[in-house]
Amino acid sequence: MYRYDAFDAEMLQDRTAEFTDQVRRRVAGDMTEDQFKPLRLMNGLYMQLHAYMLRVAIPYGTLSGAQLRRLGHVARTWDRGFGHFTTRTNIQLNWIKLKDAPAILESMAEVGLHAIQTSGNCIRNITADPYAGANAEEVDDPRVWVEAMRQWSTFHPEFSYLPRKFKIAIGAAPNDRTAARIYDIGMKMRRARDGKLGFEVMVGGGLGRTPYLGPTIREFLPAEHLLSYMTAIMRVYNRHGRRDNIHKARIKILVASLGAEEFARQVETEWEALDKAAIDVPEAEIARIRASFASPAFKTLPAINDAVEALKAASRPFAQFVKHNVLAHKVPGYVIVNVSLKAPGEVPGDCTSDQMDAIADLAERYGFDETRVHFDQNLILPHVALEDLPAVYEGLRAIGLATPNIGLTSDIIACPGLDYCALANARAIPVAQEIATRFADMEVAEDIGELRIKISGCINACGHHHVGHIGILGVDKKGEEFYQVSLGGSGLEDARLGDIIGPAIAGPKVTDAIEALINTYKKERTTGERFVDTYRRVGLAPFKAAVYAEAH
Amino acid sequence: MTATVSLLKAVTGNRLADGEVVFWGEGGWRERFPDASLFADPADADAALDAAKADPTVIVDPYIIDVRLDGEFPVPTSFRERVRALGPTTHLDMGKQAEGGPILEAIAAASGAARSAGRSNLIKKR
Ligand code: SF4
Repeated sequence: MYRYDAFDAEMLQDRTAEFTDQVRRRVAGDMTEDQFKPLRLMNGLYMQLHAYMLRVAIPYGTLSGAQLRRLGHVARTWDRGFGHFTTRTNIQLNWIKLKDAPAILESMAEVGLHAIQTSGNCIRNITADPYAGANAEEVDDPRVWVEAMRQWSTFHPEFSYLPRKFKIAIGAAPNDRTAARIYDIGMKMRRARDGKLGFEVMVGGGLGRTPYLGPTIREFLPAEHLLSYMTAIMRVYNRHGRRDNIHKARIKILVASLGAEEFARQVETEWEALDKAAIDVPEAEIARIRASFASPAFKTLPAINDAVEALKAASRPFAQFVKHNVLAHKVPGYVIVNVSLKAPGEVPGDCTSDQMDAIADLAERYGFDETRVHFDQNLILPHVALEDLPAVYEGLRAIGLATPNIGLTSDIIACPGLDYCALANARAIPVAQEIATRFADMEVAEDIGELRIKISGCINACGHHHVGHIGILGVDKKGEEFYQVSLGGSGLEDARLGDIIGPAIAGPKVTDAIEALINTYKKERTTGERFVDTYRRVGLAPFKAAVYAEAH
Repeated sequence: MTATVSLLKAVTGNRLADGEVVFWGEGGWRERFPDASLFADPADADAALDAAKADPTVIVDPYIIDVRLDGEFPVPTSFRERVRALGPTTHLDMGKQAEGGPILEAIAAASGAARSAGRSNLIKKR
């Protein structure tokens, strides 16, 4: 795993000292709130409904045991003993006091954690395939390239005051696990026919008020030119992005108004004019970064473990856990363990300090000291020996985190919504809790199969509702909480924006509406067909009729 | 039932040092909504807001909220402001709701919502 070097450590120390002084000046009245606010936001500190919220960056969603434990410590010492993992694979702490922020940043810096690139109109913390380095189908380890981009983009003087915030994701395999098409820039690693490494580059995706899936502007960018090509994209955006209108300032609006082809042409022209050698990362530096992501010392193990097989036969919950949460690893005898933060009735993405400690212990003991954050608001132990799986399962069960529901109805994405977020129109968490509880029964859930429900508390779409198989958006209708439901979306390789089914539904009726949709799916599906595929095949009519039947 | 007749005003904001939700009340900023001063005359609320703005090292972005009477108890009309006055609906042990009391219970029982100036100011400012 990449360890921050002396340069990074010094940068974090300087940053903490600087912010400490800024807080002191603000509290002393030497700075107005208007002057201070951009500075505190640059340090990840937002004002929410009940307190300040601190958003901590988790570069490429990777945490060591020590880092996860430190997050638990911060939450326990200066917050209420829990944190919330987000769809951007960051973590948010909900009850932070401004006066504690300097001490928190100092504590986090000791383990290489920080809140840089979590706010402001800069290139935000970059996400990568959460199974990086563990998954057999990956073309290359995306973290090598994301780390190079982290170093390049952090405090980049030319790109620190963009027209609007800027989000980048890199997928590593044909199967997308980053939702790349909903990013300002999404990339997918590829190999050319001659074996050369590169990226497919998609630009101009994004959700919010005007959702778009990013079109591909280059089928193959040779990997070594990553930074110069990014620079060309950023320059075209910086020059033509709509700084005059916050609702039109994201790059998706520019790409849509120019058209993907014309946008691509301008990027290529810009790129040709650049001194690429001066911008691109030297091969030696890529090699240095790559070395820090070298595979752990995997043992040679049998691909099948008799004890695991026996336990599967003896314990239904364990068998369900293996079926839904455990995935094949690139090395025989190892597995990827998904840790669901979606126990029905709990808050999606929330994790207590004690749970963080326990997962850190498991990672250190059984997982080569690595954990990952998935944008579905779950955690991952990416490298677990099959023979240790029963112990890991027991460890997770002991802290209430062995729910075997990855990808099932109760594995719902929900943003903080009106329970915390100052921008919210309606609550998201209670809606998720009610649906998850209704569909908690494993037999029911397994019969329904893969179903991705995503809920946002306002049009900003932090809960990715546009790309949910079922998307739920909180709206304020004549002062009451209502929810607009959409169907058929996906942010992955079958990317599509969902279709709104009809008028928004009153809060207390949402779970019944979801049940009506699911019943319709059960009636219409062919054998083995997923919810989203049935919807895409049969269309809106039967689903709509089922939901609004009552109203007629 | 016409429980909601009189419309009152209160002044609220988040405290600079710790982000705590506070209300303008007797003798200064108070943490509990039941201690908020209620203004029948909007001009008095405006005056309180001006006073609050004059003390920028204490409060961040203060604003005026509407308050109605549900029976004898004052309740913020906006759902957002009721959540601020109580705490998250998903963690009843957190925020101000934990301490209970008749006014907080009335707020928790209230239904209906209206847009909050807090949110629209925020969106305007962005
Ligand atoms: S979608 Fe809206 S309500 Fe939800 S976290 Fe984002 S801004 Fe807040």
